[in-house]
Amino acid sequence: MKRRIELGLLYSRTGSYALIAQACRSGALAAVAEVNADPGCDITFVPVERDPGGNIDLYAPLCDEILHATSARHVIGCVTSWSRKEVIPTLEKAGGTLWYAVPYEGFEASDHVVYTHACPNQHLLPLLDWAMPVYGRRAYLTGSNYIWGWEMNRLARETIRAAGGTVLGERYLPIGSLEIGRMIEEIRVTRPDFILNSLIGPSSYRFLAVLAELAAQDPAFAPDRCPVLSCNMTECELPALGAAAEGLIAAGPYFQGETGWPGSGQFGSSHEAAAWRAVQGLAGLLAHRPGAEAESLATLLAGRRSSIDAQTHHTTLPALIAQVRDGAFKVVARCGQVAGDPYLTARRPEMRAASAPVLRVVS
Amino acid sequence: MKRQVRIQNLGGARAVILHRPHPTVQALTRQLTAIGLEVLVHWPDLEPEAMAADFVFFDADMGHDAQFPWKPGEAPMPMIALIGSEAPGRIEWSLGIGAHAQMLKPVGDNGAYGALLIARAAHDARCALAAEVADLRRRLDGRQTVVRAVTLLAARSRTEAEAYDQLRQIAMAWRVSLEDAAERIVAQAAGGQDDRRERG
Repeated sequence: MKRRIELGLLYSRTGSYALIAQACRSGALAAVAEVNADPGCDITFVPVERDPGGNIDLYAPLCDEILHATSARHVIGCVTSWSRKEVIPTLEKAGGTLWYAVPYEGFEASDHVVYTHACPNQHLLPLLDWAMPVYGRRAYLTGSNYIWGWEMNRLARETIRAAGGTVLGERYLPIGSLEIGRMIEEIRVTRPDFILNSLIGPSSYRFLAVLAELAAQDPAFAPDRCPVLSCNMTECELPALGAAAEGLIAAGPYFQGETGWPGSGQFGSSHEAAAWRAVQGLAGLLAHRPGAEAESLATLLAGRRSSIDAQTHHTTLPALIAQVRDGAFKVVARCGQVAGDPYLTARRPEMRAASAPVLRVVS
Repeated sequence: MKRQVRIQNLGGARAVILHRPHPTVQALTRQLTAIGLEVLVHWPDLEPEAMAADFVFFDADMGHDAQFPWKPGEAPMPMIALIGSEAPGRIEWSLGIGAHAQMLKPVGDNGAYGALLIARAAHDARCALAAEVADLRRRLDGRQTVVRAVTLLAARSRTEAEAYDQLRQIAMAWRVSLEDAAERIVAQAAGGQDDRRERG
């Protein structure tokens, strides 16, 4: 007889980041189906879904509803960092746990969150380390106007300057805005070596489409001369981009066809893979431990071997860099297995080399 | 350095909260009202009446420079950052705009009183230091004038030491700073009127 355990799902299936939410959701549901069908596992997950519809002010109340109206203690959900920060107080009050399966900007290690996708030392830093020697050190930074874009660009600025590079421009758009004209104009005038794109949703789709038109007119903006780098672009958004995605370079822990992931090892995108891993990770903590579903995350992780770091609640992930070629991501660099280091306090030899003082001849 | 905390005058003081409508605003308003402050909530920008506020609480997560009617670091009152994301970029911006103290979000049942006192003490200290630096800078700028005044007086007395001593006596008699006295002497010698204009 399997134990029935309610499991919260908190994804916005509509709104400006719906494609990512849908990818995460299908990864989570695939893992639920596998756990439920596994005769060797003594638990059955019963999904309890709430859909904030992309409205930031609904995340906390709906998370609260899951934690109070049902027996669920664990919630798989949230796409934006903004929404994650909104639900953390609710999780703290109710003793719940959020399993967060999206790349984020780091500088967080909540006692009530497990981070199963990458943070900057697993995406942005390997990406810049790889890209600057290849394409150059003159960068243009874009982002959506919230914590993800701000923090990614701040860290990029710091890293690029420490490596002796320059930031030619940095511009933000409100989530959902399509006013990309000024960014494109600045890029056209400054002619950077690469663009770091931390826009999300429709802003990003429009930006990449117009940039592709610019590249068609002037080869100086083609992907081989001025590529667009991204830490949040995966296969799940390629249909929205079409041909404009060609040449895009992204960092992530998984790309289609990459081997080495557990289970079937085949997912639609890293968002799917990370959500799948979240549910499987939770199943691993709850299986064969009757009553464990009521225990706190700290108790569940204490004294157990788990892929989740007991201190930071981050995971060790492959750091991959891939480029869109003929409509699909092809991995172009593998930077090894990297443990999540949300506060960037662990030693990074290549980072220290890059941040050595830049000496100049003073006359 | 021992510093006394001013606990007076919070009653009736005016606090402005710059934050979008949110349970945190309600919780903070409740705390501030209980302490005895009058609370106004502004969003998305500080309106001109905020210039008259005694304290400003601002959202560090969504904040940007254009929300404030003054330049970064030039707030005329103590400012308290309401921090949700402890991300370095947001801390950096909060410091730049001039945070004197901070409260972590979500704001619950306490924290406002301590933040008010710490912010006011930090703001007082910053103002006192700024005034002192301005005065020292002004006196530093007056060095050349002092040298010129001593040279002028030395022409009438025997030595530079005596001339300097004379300048100090004149400043004392006029009840002005050495630099101000020097400036008047130089102005007089240049044929200008002694307008006895006070500086500073």
